Amino acid sequence: MAKDRLASALERWEAVIGLEIHTELTTLATKLFCGCPVEFGGQPNSRVCPICLGLPGSLPVPNQAAIEATVLAGLATHCEIAEWSQFHRKNYFYPDMPKNYQVSQYDAPFCTDGWVEIDIEGDGGPQRPDRDGAYTTRIGITRIHLEEDTGKMIHVGGAEGRISGATHSLADFNRAGTGLIELVTEPDIRTPEEARRFAQKLRLIWLSLGISDCNMEEGSMRVDANVSVRTRGESEFGVKAEVKNMNSFKALHDALAFEIVRQAEELESGGRVVQETRHWDAGAKITSSLRSKEEAHDYRYFPEPDMVPFEFTEEWIETLRAVLPELPDDKKKRLMTDYGIPAHDATVLTGEDLAMAEFFEAAVTIAGAERAKAISNVMLNDLSMHLNAAGISLAESKVVPSMVAELVALVEDGTISSKQAKEVFAEMAETGDSPGAIVELRGMKQVSDSGAIEEVVDRVLAASPDQVEAYRGGKTGLMGFFVGQVMREMGGQANPKVVNEVLAEKLR
Amino acid sequence: MIDLSRLSATQIRDGIVDKLFTAREVTDAAIERIGVLDRQIHAFNQVTKQLAYAAAERIDDAVASGLVLPALAGVPVAFKDNMYLTGTRTTCSSRMLENNESVYDCTAVHRLLEAGTIPLGKCNLDEFAFGSSTEYSAFGPTRNPWNPEAVPGGSSGGSAAAVSGGMVTLALGSDTGGSIRQPGSFTGVVALKPTYGRVSRYGCVAFASSLDQIGPLAKTVEECALALNAISGKDPMDATSVERPAEDFATGLAEGVAGLRVGVVTDFLEAEGCAPEVRDSILAATEVFASLGAEIGEVELPSTAYGLSAYYIIAPAEASSNLARFDGIRYGHRAEDAEDVIDMYMRSRSEGFGPEVLRRIMLGTYALSAGYYEAYYGQAQKARTLIKRDFASAFERFDVLLAPTSPTVAFGIGERMDDLLSMYLSDICTIPVNLAGNCAISVPSGLSPSTGLPIGLQIIGDHFAESTVLRAAAAFEAAIEFDPTPPLVQEIQYEATGERKRRGFRR
Repeated sequence: MAKDRLASALERWEAVIGLEIHTELTTLATKLFCGCPVEFGGQPNSRVCPICLGLPGSLPVPNQAAIEATVLAGLATHCEIAEWSQFHRKNYFYPDMPKNYQVSQYDAPFCTDGWVEIDIEGDGGPQRPDRDGAYTTRIGITRIHLEEDTGKMIHVGGAEGRISGATHSLADFNRAGTGLIELVTEPDIRTPEEARRFAQKLRLIWLSLGISDCNMEEGSMRVDANVSVRTRGESEFGVKAEVKNMNSFKALHDALAFEIVRQAEELESGGRVVQETRHWDAGAKITSSLRSKEEAHDYRYFPEPDMVPFEFTEEWIETLRAVLPELPDDKKKRLMTDYGIPAHDATVLTGEDLAMAEFFEAAVTIAGAERAKAISNVMLNDLSMHLNAAGISLAESKVVPSMVAELVALVEDGTISSKQAKEVFAEMAETGDSPGAIVELRGMKQVSDSGAIEEVVDRVLAASPDQVEAYRGGKTGLMGFFVGQVMREMGGQANPKVVNEVLAEKLR
Repeated sequence: MIDLSRLSATQIRDGIVDKLFTAREVTDAAIERIGVLDRQIHAFNQVTKQLAYAAAERIDDAVASGLVLPALAGVPVAFKDNMYLTGTRTTCSSRMLENNESVYDCTAVHRLLEAGTIPLGKCNLDEFAFGSSTEYSAFGPTRNPWNPEAVPGGSSGGSAAAVSGGMVTLALGSDTGGSIRQPGSFTGVVALKPTYGRVSRYGCVAFASSLDQIGPLAKTVEECALALNAISGKDPMDATSVERPAEDFATGLAEGVAGLRVGVVTDFLEAEGCAPEVRDSILAATEVFASLGAEIGEVELPSTAYGLSAYYIIAPAEASSNLARFDGIRYGHRAEDAEDVIDMYMRSRSEGFGPEVLRRIMLGTYALSAGYYEAYYGQAQKARTLIKRDFASAFERFDVLLAPTSPTVAFGIGERMDDLLSMYLSDICTIPVNLAGNCAISVPSGLSPSTGLPIGLQIIGDHFAESTVLRAAAAFEAAIEFDPTPPLVQEIQYEATGERKRRGFRR
């Protein structure tokens, strides 16, 4: 998707996006209504019992930890917690659903009316012609409820495991009955970037709470989007499409970008958008129609009679609120106050991966708070670039906080230049060796001895009489040329500050 | 051979303890009797000889080792065939589950077996417990030991007939709208529906989850009390089962009813189709209570007029959802050569379910459909709330309420199959109790002068007031000295002992 097509579409059209995010409670020991363990993978149908298989006569018993996890999720997203709530049965037939109804929640979810704020930096700006550069926006949360997950179907004999053309299907109920929280946002999202940031932010909140591993590829966090477009200034919503099968944050962004452009261009060419479910194909980078909403199910919801309703007391809710961990927003504010780093730095450090802030604080503890900004710089630049280039997570990287702390100290005490620091970083990221060892081994110590530098400066100036004359004649821009010559002569090990000082003196 | 029909559960246990006979001999007697009677009665879907002898052996070993025997040691029991018991099929008397092997144990079944009982088998029922006569069994009807041309009631008709026929001493049934009490009434046995939440429902194939309750049938109140001791109590596997202080329901049975406040439910005596002889029998029972020192009054439960209507919305609605799992995918009947999964669902279900099941699934599905939910399910729930309030206010004035169990005695086989409303009406006095969640017992109050078939008195109690209900039932039982042995069984006994020639069954 060419970015300019999206930007151009968004100049004329306003996108309206709402997300439905399902998160499996993967950190719980057991499933929602039985004692089967929650794990990923394993032999098909090896983690099942009469209850999660929905055998006749079996009954669900709610897992208290799952209810607490849902309420924590609500508290962490500024939701109101219901005083009274219950499960409902959602009735529909599908072979991956053992009972042919899903125990879910309907008109009495545990959590309602919350919000999450997201920070949009840099490249999000152009997607919002009505916003100027970086901005913060609040996304409303309609509800969060708890339900049971389904099993999985494996279609055999068709192309790429798709159902069409399959000769038969196998059902694996290992996942069936795992606790699943569904969060529904208000239609407050306006750009693919906002959607991505929201999903990332939510993932960090869930990770902070420790309620899920939020692995989009394994499907423990699944994001579906409702998207429509309307002409700017219009207050009515357009006809929406529901987009599914977005297995990464990038896929979420790209699928929405594609869908906005598709709808905008459809409308501009005199066509119409139909209400339907569309499937994101990450390979072909397109969405395609999956099914039309006209065949919408009647789920025949009714209160689940196998369980009694829940009554949550204010005291109980407060005991949960009291155990809330530090959440990304609080962490960001604290990093700014405690370490004096700018908002941008704090946003990046707390915005994508919980491990970043942990790493930062560990490095600062070693190096000292006065080096916080220097550490943040290394992390936002060298470290981020390294992780992106290598396509790995911080946890997978060989770089540890003590290495960054040491590197920053080496620069600060003048042992190496910041240019050398970049080389050292590259090597330590590659080998996992400490910066000190690398500097030692490679003899990279910076020369700050002005005598040695003077010698080289004299040589360089003597070899470039024309440039010296030109400089003195007013072409002060040649300073960079001289510095470069000196540095090259000295194998990059000269302290650039001293070189500059000596050159300025000699050229005066 | 031991005459089981003349021995109570306590007498069996004591006889084994005192080494008058062994558990194996008790089991022999039960199996012998089933062999003689059940070809005619068809109370059993499956007789579990092996399980029975294994259990008997454990009891006899315990006797030999001098161990203290549990309360119901050696007592022959049977289970309605909608309760899971490993080593048996659980069929719900449906083609759908004809070959359904139990892979776990129902809590109530397990608890009753833990009390030392001998499992003789699984009893016939209306398919998935949908019915009032046991005629809707895919495996053929059960007959009433009092008259084989009459139904035993239902849906726990097999359990009731097994007890009535003296084939077992105790049986478990399940009661959603009267399915323990009404067959108890039709076969002249004592039948208890405990308070909703008193007994775990885990392992009993659900009909209507908010109404279902497992309970015992036996020839005496005391045996029902002993069975309730065994099966009641909070079960961590059933979130709707309730934690209650421990009670021994069998103590205090002889304390009498002097001063007990007894309310006669006038609405039920005047209920549609209430036979005069039933009405007379209940009024006579009221006199018995008065003569025993109870304080008698009348009570109206006006909202129970909506009971049948509300029930036939709520129960099918829940059933339509509970039975959705029978789709041929994981277990149960699967249609051959389906074109696709939808075709497989439709054909498997059409082939596997009988007419009454299909009818109730359609009824319930309709009642829950978008646009109809409020008009049907919503309204029915409101009626249910009003019925609960009626009972609650009645129990402010009374300790127990008296009513007929069923408006008539057992009807003839086939008689009501073409008249659904009359079939449904046979539960008109029991259904409101399920809707309100209260406990109630049916005790025989005498025989119908016209047919010689038993009439049942229903004694209804407040939530968790089983002790009071059992005490009232025991006092009444002692006062009227009803003989629960049906003529059919007497005849067969005479034949077995050669005292009298068999005369053929009453027609």
